[in-house]
Amino acid sequence: MANSKLSLLFLALAAACLFSLAAGPAGLSPDIILNLRLPRTLAALAVGAGLGLAGALFQGVLKNPLSDPYILGTSSGATAAAVFCFLAGIERTSPVFFIAVFAGAFGATFLSYWLARAAGRLSDAALVLAGVAVSAFLSAVVMLTLSAARERSFSLLYFVLGGLYAVEPGVMLFSGAIILAAVIFSMARWRALDAMSLGAEKAYHLGANPERERLVFFGLACAATSAAVAMGGTIGFVGLMTPHIIRLVTGPSARVLVPAAALGGAALLTAADAAGRSLFPPSEVPAGVIMALAGAPFFMWLLWKNSRGRN
Amino acid sequence: MPALKVSGLTFSYGPATLIKDLGFELRPGDFMCVLGPNGSGKSTLLKLLTGFIKPAAGAVTLAGESTAGMAAGRLARLAAYVPSETTTPYDFSVREMVLMGRTARSGFWRGYSRADEEAADRALAETGAARLAARSVNTLSTGERQLVFIAQALAQEAKLLLLDEPTSHLDLKYKAAVMALLASLAGRNLAVAAVLHEPALARLGCNKALLLGREGDYSFGSVPEMISPVRLAAVYGLPENSPLLPK
Repeated sequence: MANSKLSLLFLALAAACLFSLAAGPAGLSPDIILNLRLPRTLAALAVGAGLGLAGALFQGVLKNPLSDPYILGTSSGATAAAVFCFLAGIERTSPVFFIAVFAGAFGATFLSYWLARAAGRLSDAALVLAGVAVSAFLSAVVMLTLSAARERSFSLLYFVLGGLYAVEPGVMLFSGAIILAAVIFSMARWRALDAMSLGAEKAYHLGANPERERLVFFGLACAATSAAVAMGGTIGFVGLMTPHIIRLVTGPSARVLVPAAALGGAALLTAADAAGRSLFPPSEVPAGVIMALAGAPFFMWLLWKNSRGRN
Repeated sequence: MPALKVSGLTFSYGPATLIKDLGFELRPGDFMCVLGPNGSGKSTLLKLLTGFIKPAAGAVTLAGESTAGMAAGRLARLAAYVPSETTTPYDFSVREMVLMGRTARSGFWRGYSRADEEAADRALAETGAARLAARSVNTLSTGERQLVFIAQALAQEAKLLLLDEPTSHLDLKYKAAVMALLASLAGRNLAVAAVLHEPALARLGCNKALLLGREGDYSFGSVPEMISPVRLAAVYGLPENSPLLPK
């Protein structure tokens, strides 16, 4: 039973990869597939896996089905830190870059969390509002910085908008390793994640320390998001949509959900990126735009479903 | 050895003293109800017992071990707590929910062991929730949910079971069923403490009662001694002949 569900997921992943390798205005020459589309497909897989994982971790540890790295401000924090690093001349392959981006992601996430908690009970809506406020501010800071740094702002704008263009092999290797490590560590702690999805108080009484688990899962989700942002900039909604779709197939237990959300996120973003390349050739729609087109209505549907559940 | 020993427990919420110099003991097999008006600190007391809230003074000892500084994992093996309501937006099956009671008994990576599965099966059978095993918890009635969360707590295999208003929102039949279940658990040497809203329910199997009054006043004793119209009238601020009080 579980195996057939997982093979369904692998089938979707394989289909997305084939679509991505075939999609694009330049046809099917082996040279283009190997040198252009293969690296890009690998980048989409890694970024999607990182964001899908981060979404599953946030939704579990916060017991909040509306959370994902984009909505909580994690991605904005990482993007802001990345832009500052570019302007300061720090290379994308240097460890300093990753540490700074992680610090930006972690700082923004905790700020959203702290704001939502300070606003009273940690409700689903309060967290979304806090995340929106933090994201809006950080995006404004990024835009202000880009306006001030005129000469490089055009290439950086593409980074901020989110999309998978030419990801350097060094960045891809490093980011890919971080995402893989985050998936493995998260899989090891699946029981604590399940306990947290019943709320901090219940988790405590089941034997998980909620403060520690929050720190651990925020850390893992922020590491995965940072690595994804370093490759693809700000791409939203992968983390939000993937766990919801996966739960329909595998059920909510983190034991399967965590690895499945990483695979599902990889498939989703790879398909979105390929769709962006095939819609209006020869021009390209960034993967972030495709994801927002699909993800924003999905978010509205979730809000509607959530409000109905309350009454 | 007492399953639970409380001494000198004091807790204030803002300027108001909620619990003052509280002391009592529960032995295996005891079934205690906690009664008192709203705001007398009944729910707070349960969370003080599990260390989820830290007291201003006093000590809580579970099976001879002090809870001060105790790790959550150790605590969950000694005491299980059923809140008045547990919600989750995710559709966990009843069986998965009960298996989560085994959180504290597991290491990294491991799936559920045979011992975990057996503990869950026993808990489901004991609470009569086995027929619900495959259902999503979010499709259950309030009464069914209560049984499932009691089953989850039983799967923890702790010696002390704490429940916050396990019978509120339930119809009379489920109230009686839950009280009978708790009494049978006490009958197999668990210590059970439940916050109740209706003093009459204490007669359904409780042998001890803790009455919490205003500003930290309390009295603790056997049910026949505590569940008397005179005492209850004083605690709830009702006339002694009120039809709400059990005779």
